[in-house]
Amino acid sequence: MSLLSLESITRRFGGLVALDNVSLEIPAQRLSAVIGPNGAGKTTLFNVIAGSAPPSAGRVIFDSEDITGQPPEAIARRGLIRTFQLVQLFEGLTVLENVKVGFHLHTQGGLLAAILPTRAARAEEARVDAQARELLNETGLVTHAETIAAVLPYGQKRLLEITRALAARPRLLLLDEPAAGLNRPETDLLAALLRRIVDNGTAILLIEHDMSLVMEVADEIAVLDFGRLIAKGSPAEIRRNRAVIAAYLGSAEAEHA
Amino acid sequence: MNSRITIWADFLANPAALALWALTAAFIGYVFFAGGYLVTVLQFALIYTVLVTGLNVFMGFTGQVSFGHNAFAAIGGYSSAVLTATYGWEPLPAGLVGLCGSLAVAFLIGYPVLRLRGHYLAMATLAVGLIVYEIAVQWDAVTHGYMGISGIAPIGIGPWSVTSDRGVLAVLLVVSAFALLSAAGIRRSRIGRAFLAAAGSEDAARALGIDVARYKLLAFMISAAYASIAGSLFVHAVGFVSPEVFGLAMVVLAFTMLYVGGLGTVAGPAFGAIIISMLPESFRAFKDYQDLAYGAALIAILMYAPRGLASLPELWSKFRRRAA
Amino acid sequence: MLDLVGQSIVSGIGVGAIYGLIGIGFCVIYNASGIVNFAQGAFVMLGGMLTQAAMVHLALPLPLAAALAIVAVAACGVLLERVVVRPLWNRGSTMFVMILATLAAQIVIERVTQILAGDQPRTLPVFTDRPPLKLLGFAINFQFLWIVGCSAIVIVALALFFSSTKTGKAMRACSINREAAALQGIRVSRMLALAFALSAGLGAFAGILITPTQYTAFNVGVPFAISGFIAAIVGGFGRPFGAFAGGILLGVAQALAIVFLGAAFKNIAALSILLLFLFVRPTGLLGPAK
Repeated sequence: MSLLSLESITRRFGGLVALDNVSLEIPAQRLSAVIGPNGAGKTTLFNVIAGSAPPSAGRVIFDSEDITGQPPEAIARRGLIRTFQLVQLFEGLTVLENVKVGFHLHTQGGLLAAILPTRAARAEEARVDAQARELLNETGLVTHAETIAAVLPYGQKRLLEITRALAARPRLLLLDEPAAGLNRPETDLLAALLRRIVDNGTAILLIEHDMSLVMEVADEIAVLDFGRLIAKGSPAEIRRNRAVIAAYLGSAEAEHA
Repeated sequence: MNSRITIWADFLANPAALALWALTAAFIGYVFFAGGYLVTVLQFALIYTVLVTGLNVFMGFTGQVSFGHNAFAAIGGYSSAVLTATYGWEPLPAGLVGLCGSLAVAFLIGYPVLRLRGHYLAMATLAVGLIVYEIAVQWDAVTHGYMGISGIAPIGIGPWSVTSDRGVLAVLLVVSAFALLSAAGIRRSRIGRAFLAAAGSEDAARALGIDVARYKLLAFMISAAYASIAGSLFVHAVGFVSPEVFGLAMVVLAFTMLYVGGLGTVAGPAFGAIIISMLPESFRAFKDYQDLAYGAALIAILMYAPRGLASLPELWSKFRRRAA
Repeated sequence: MLDLVGQSIVSGIGVGAIYGLIGIGFCVIYNASGIVNFAQGAFVMLGGMLTQAAMVHLALPLPLAAALAIVAVAACGVLLERVVVRPLWNRGSTMFVMILATLAAQIVIERVTQILAGDQPRTLPVFTDRPPLKLLGFAINFQFLWIVGCSAIVIVALALFFSSTKTGKAMRACSINREAAALQGIRVSRMLALAFALSAGLGAFAGILITPTQYTAFNVGVPFAISGFIAAIVGGFGRPFGAFAGGILLGVAQALAIVFLGAAFKNIAALSILLLFLFVRPTGLLGPAK
């Protein structure tokens, strides 16, 4: 039983068909990737899965539950956490505070705990603080814990977004082009981090343009073109697939050097 | 470590904040000692501290906009006034009724209003404030319209009421201290982080499981509660209420204090309220000039120091650079 | 009863036309700059006040005083744009800060007027001093005819301006896409100043038209601004002629509310319409603009 099942997902915008009958099975504890030329519908697929946009047809099944069309916060509560193509941090908060927000789902405490901090509430806050720092340590950002997120260089902002997502204890992590804007060393660090995350038990579904990264870390790859699924399989299979090469028509060559 | 001790420790660690608090404490001490007219001004400042602290939770922490919080002050104020003066209730239950009324109204209009953004949100909240003002004016069977209600009993419980000016000041100090401390508590807490997240990026907040709509409503209701309490305190402190008290001037005044003190800071509302209350003291006799000064001051602040007191270090270094 | 309703509708159309003119002013500025100019009401107030002052202190006849007032208020509009709006705009202030700043400007203008002119309400003479006409059983007074007639002329003139003149088309270009307009060589900052001048002039004109039927004083601005804003929302923010239609609708709805619910509900009716539209159809009757 796969963790995430997409059944015949179709998404239309007026006359434009962004996703056409896409069916996909994403297994647990694996790193799956979705690739395809620009405009193939990859981010739209993420938006449908994560609840930002309802599909025109089809179903999204997460962990045997139909989550089609549910709001993003409900889907996040089930353990499906996404990041965004353009990094969406809480720019005015510190790095540490950003990560602490990620713990929201797995902590308690409402207005009463805020105004009259009981011993239990204070203990919870201390725990959140410690766990947040630990996560930052794992992803290498702990020295910047008190830095305001807005001033971080782009690569570290990306890293922070992923760290924050991890704080929410996802069963499936949806990463939208995490390597975009990163240089080579940063991408290598990212690759290592991604493999560590999967080894720790969290499944990842990745959208990416960086072919070498995808080929290096993915267990399974699905290829979209013009909203349709044109191929899926292991990295080796995809590399040889005629339809995929035709769809990219040379851009894959450039990445493969 | 987010205990209350740490919150104070943070203030102590920041020399500028420490200096301001010391100044404030000294000033309050002086007013207690000297008495007289300043006591009334400080009472006004402390009542507005409560109002602006609540507004700060909604606008500063949660990043929303409201031009209509005078509505909740009016609901609180008029409930207190009518129930105590006309029906002989005790102040505390009367204020509680006002508080419940404000929370109910905030809840009812919250969902449709908070779906709006930008100038739509601003105008919807303005409309709410104006509607309540109109009701205060037109429902004269209860509110006595423009004439208002006078002879409102001072704050008190049972046979003890606080009649001296200094006594009222003490009560207001306690209430505003509680308001500031609870706002600080909120800022450091899980719900505070949810508010700030909603302000930072609604999409990202929702992707982390935060029900942004619910938290915006919570922030709205919290700020409505503070406003209601401020309104109730006002009518008991002054002994009189009329629609003008809760009119558009209150909105502009509250915004000026909020911006001067520093939007989104915890202590900002207090500093802003005290500074702005003290400013036109010399113009007190000329009510017309007072509003003119507020308007002009607000424009200047928005232009040159939009982060209020927090802009001071920047302005200072700019000034020094130009003088050098 | 039907007579009363009909008569109310007629007077509602008259007031509504005024709201519509003010609403067009909101749209013109919004289209040019993206901000809601809360000082709009001050321009309406100044139109009536300055005309009256010119008639009394400069002994000018009404038409000349009115023309002078409109020009003066248009200049005020440009002043507001230069002194308050432009600096904030250049600092990248949020839209909320802009609304707040224009609201503060409204207060400043109001208070200055109060200090200079006192709080006594004043009025202007009706344009044509004749008894009302009897049309189809309704009494139509001449001021109503002036209001509707002048509004119609202004609407047509504006329509021609925006569609046929170079400047008008340039302003429309700015509202559609400021960057593209700038790239085409259109002086955007000049368009902004022009938008404020036009809007202020419209407001002043509306103020002059309505003053003979009521009064003017330093504090009549805010209620007019709110009505004009409601007109703009109802018509669809950003569509000037929709704003005029919205104004008429608002005027009529208000008049009917007074007939059926009582005078006390005049403002509550208007504000409730505003809230209703904001909740249900913020893009207005005609839907989103372009």
